[in-house]
Amino acid sequence: MKYFFVHRTARGLIIPLAIVFCALLANAGAAWAGKNSSLEIGFVGVPPPGFQNVQLNVISVRVNSKATAGPGNGGWQTIPAPPGVGGSNSSAELQIDLNNLQDTPQLFNTAGVKAGTYHVAEIRIDPNISGYLVPTCPTAPPTFGNADGCITYPLMLTNTNSITVVDPNGVVSAKKGKLSQLILKVTLGSLVPPTVSGGAYTGTVTITAPTTPILGTITGTVNVTGTPPSPSSGSNKIRKLSVTAEAIGTNTPIATAPVKSGSYTLFLPAANNFGTLYDLAVTGGGDNLAAQRLAPLFPLSNQPLAADFSIGVPSSLGNLSGQVTDGCKAKSPIVGATLAILLPPDGTSGIDCSITPGLCVAVLTANTDNAGDFPLPGSISTPPMFDNIPALPKSGAYVMEVTAPGYDPLLVQAQPSMGNGPGGCAPIGSSTFSNCNLTLSTGYITGSIPITPPFPGETTLVQVFAEDTGTNNIESSLPMPISITHSNAANCPSGPFPDCVPFTINVPTLPIPGATPTPSGAPPRVFDLFATTIDLYQGSTDPYPGHSIAVQSEVTGPMPPTSPGACATATPAPFAQSIECVGHGSVQGSVANANLGTSVVLEKPDPAIPGNLVQITTTPVVNQAENPTPTNSYSFCAPGGDVYAVQRLQLPSPEPSETPLAAPSPALDGAAVPVTIPLAPVNNASATPTATPSGSPTSTPGPPSAKCPTTCTNPDGSCPSICKTVIQGL
Amino acid sequence: MLSINLTMRYLARTVGLPALGVALALALPACNNQSGFSGAVGNTPNGPRLASYQIVGTIGTPFTATVADSDSSWTFRGNVPLSVFICNNDLPAQVIATKTTSSTALLSLEIINANHVAQLQSTSAPFGTVSVQAGGVLTSIAPPADPDLRIFVSGPNAQKYQALVEDSTTGFIISSRAPTLILFDNPDGKVDATFFGAQDFGTFTVNMTLGGIVVATVTDGPNATIRQP
Repeated sequence: MKYFFVHRTARGLIIPLAIVFCALLANAGAAWAGKNSSLEIGFVGVPPPGFQNVQLNVISVRVNSKATAGPGNGGWQTIPAPPGVGGSNSSAELQIDLNNLQDTPQLFNTAGVKAGTYHVAEIRIDPNISGYLVPTCPTAPPTFGNADGCITYPLMLTNTNSITVVDPNGVVSAKKGKLSQLILKVTLGSLVPPTVSGGAYTGTVTITAPTTPILGTITGTVNVTGTPPSPSSGSNKIRKLSVTAEAIGTNTPIATAPVKSGSYTLFLPAANNFGTLYDLAVTGGGDNLAAQRLAPLFPLSNQPLAADFSIGVPSSLGNLSGQVTDGCKAKSPIVGATLAILLPPDGTSGIDCSITPGLCVAVLTANTDNAGDFPLPGSISTPPMFDNIPALPKSGAYVMEVTAPGYDPLLVQAQPSMGNGPGGCAPIGSSTFSNCNLTLSTGYITGSIPITPPFPGETTLVQVFAEDTGTNNIESSLPMPISITHSNAANCPSGPFPDCVPFTINVPTLPIPGATPTPSGAPPRVFDLFATTIDLYQGSTDPYPGHSIAVQSEVTGPMPPTSPGACATATPAPFAQSIECVGHGSVQGSVANANLGTSVVLEKPDPAIPGNLVQITTTPVVNQAENPTPTNSYSFCAPGGDVYAVQRLQLPSPEPSETPLAAPSPALDGAAVPVTIPLAPVNNASATPTATPSGSPTSTPGPPSAKCPTTCTNPDGSCPSICKTVIQGL
Repeated sequence: MLSINLTMRYLARTVGLPALGVALALALPACNNQSGFSGAVGNTPNGPRLASYQIVGTIGTPFTATVADSDSSWTFRGNVPLSVFICNNDLPAQVIATKTTSSTALLSLEIINANHVAQLQSTSAPFGTVSVQAGGVLTSIAPPADPDLRIFVSGPNAQKYQALVEDSTTGFIISSRAPTLILFDNPDGKVDATFFGAQDFGTFTVNMTLGGIVVATVTDGPNATIRQP
């Protein structure tokens, strides 16, 4: 699940982008009458200390030209939560975590506004559910009996009616036909903890303008030569010519800007003194596709591009559609597969995306629906991304990458249709194109995880993850968590434990490109597995598990299919440790000499091979030097009563003026530091105390119907109570 | 020209939505009195207003999800955004969604009740999981739905529509935007659904699966009807 890490961001690969996820609908709504300017909103955060997550539910930001404008006055220009990203109707909200916004901003949305100078800005937060707080485990006695850590507490703001920032000189000036930016520093303060179990924290939010620059600027031109052809039949609309910034090496859009009069401008989050890496993709307009990979972007800099875009027009536009199915199960569609058309960055030569896809940029992306068909339909005004794809000259073909978790990635040639057809696909190197009915190969790992079955009436949901061994690169998870009750656990096939969770997980079978080959005849992939639980806390959603995490390292994966449909299964021995009810716990500390490429990984030793550490999750090092009182801190919520290790994970610093060939990978840095998270004390409140012969009180198991008020119940009716934290610096 | 078109569209929407409401209001009694939309089902009094479960976040983010009420559960894969409704929803209900990508894309789960966000949980963690629940505590996940009847409205993307989904005894009104997954818990008899789009809506793409097998597909607009064979 990484339920475990449910709200925490950070995978080393793109740490500077980790908190930047908002796909902006740049200029959406700018065409409305009178809204002749575009305003981009972003946030940075100042959370209170001692919390694992500080989440606010933001409905919108609005601005007014009158500094004295009240909530009911006219003239407000509203930038709502982006539809589809924050919800699909007028009640859309976007949840932001202030903890993750301390060093780099998060974009919220871009919307059309009237040109002018705005003197007041207001953030509108859901008055009913303002947000949630997840404190780390308490270092001091709690304020009331059940004040556990690592659980979700509601947050009620006392000032949701008017959270504004006023500047007589203007908080932002929106110029006609231009894109402007407004970054708001969001501070949560005056926190008052709840006094009763299940109560809410109360607090106030204030917003100010940040004093240091935090966005970088990319401006450029797209020069189009020629007249675009007519759209392919079936849709008489073409997406407008635009430039999209993506996190480097991914198809995750960060912001999109329309090309107007041949020019575009993007304001993008940029990590100070470190730099943030992006790809640019040019699509739409019926013109040819183009891409660039950029040198690191720094705040306030006007990014020097390798070159402005200069593109031609195709002879025709075509569509691409088809189906993706499971190569191991006949006619079984793969739902949610991702298809990306790759292009080498402009200005590079000798890059073949069919050989080194990591050096290429994903310019167009589509997904499969519940029947495995792609692309999903668009609308009248916005056709699907795979409609009106420019045809390549000389009957050329794009390289298309098809991926789905647990399956081997597939690279094929893709040729858009001539007119309103489905287009064609061919294996790499082949000249025979046919329908794009594609199959992905996979293999299976079937195993068992020991578990102490839950107390009668309770259920434990177990999720299993497979990652490439020695890394935190998760390849797959179970499609559905396994529900374990008091009576449905299976017998363990071997080992000292009686009850087990049987599972089967899809995993890829082909070698990792560039990885050290396994011995001849051996399966090419080796995985680390770990299992966590999805728990409830007093019946409510529990963001972090209260059961121990089971790990198993160096699990040899299955062989690749020997023929279509002949898929292999690997059957490792049962895990050497059991999933137990242990309660929450946390570890926190500071990291010396950290920068914005530094994160911390939480690892757990495999009891069967103690030298092997299985990486569970990572967290960024937050509140760094740009802030007034930097702490370089990290924290994890993890089940208590267990031995873990924490280790520094470092992304290499980008060279300021150098464009990387591919997305950089983080590497473990320094020694792993063992850390024991204390076990939460056991609460025997439901048990009946009796006298022992010595006269000292003790407890006996509670009645079978006894239920603990926390995450889980032990077989004797007791349960873990308030969790403990441990401090560990790095 | 663009602004004129947009103005006309706005007018069409403004006029069209109340008209749509009237049409639905007329259609329901008509349905009840005339053996329903398909002619094969009848007497379909209104079901309770349905909560919607919104799986939103960074567009295109893949996920797997388990939706469960006290009687049944459903598992599916998908991509953000997706609206989910459970007809005959027997509360309490729980939704668990796991990102199936190592990226830091956002995945959010929302429960929308009466047009308000009743719950909201988000994750940006690689393979992060979120869950929300409605109507109390669901202590265990019910067995897979049987029969497992699903209606998937894949497009047009993000366009608002209304629908009447009914079995032989109850009709449910849904207001949503595609893509939408409609799950029917313990249908009584066969199920049909009629979708209503505004004038400039485009074409519905709808399919119905029973036990994982596509049993009906409809491409029509601005209105569309799909029936269980």
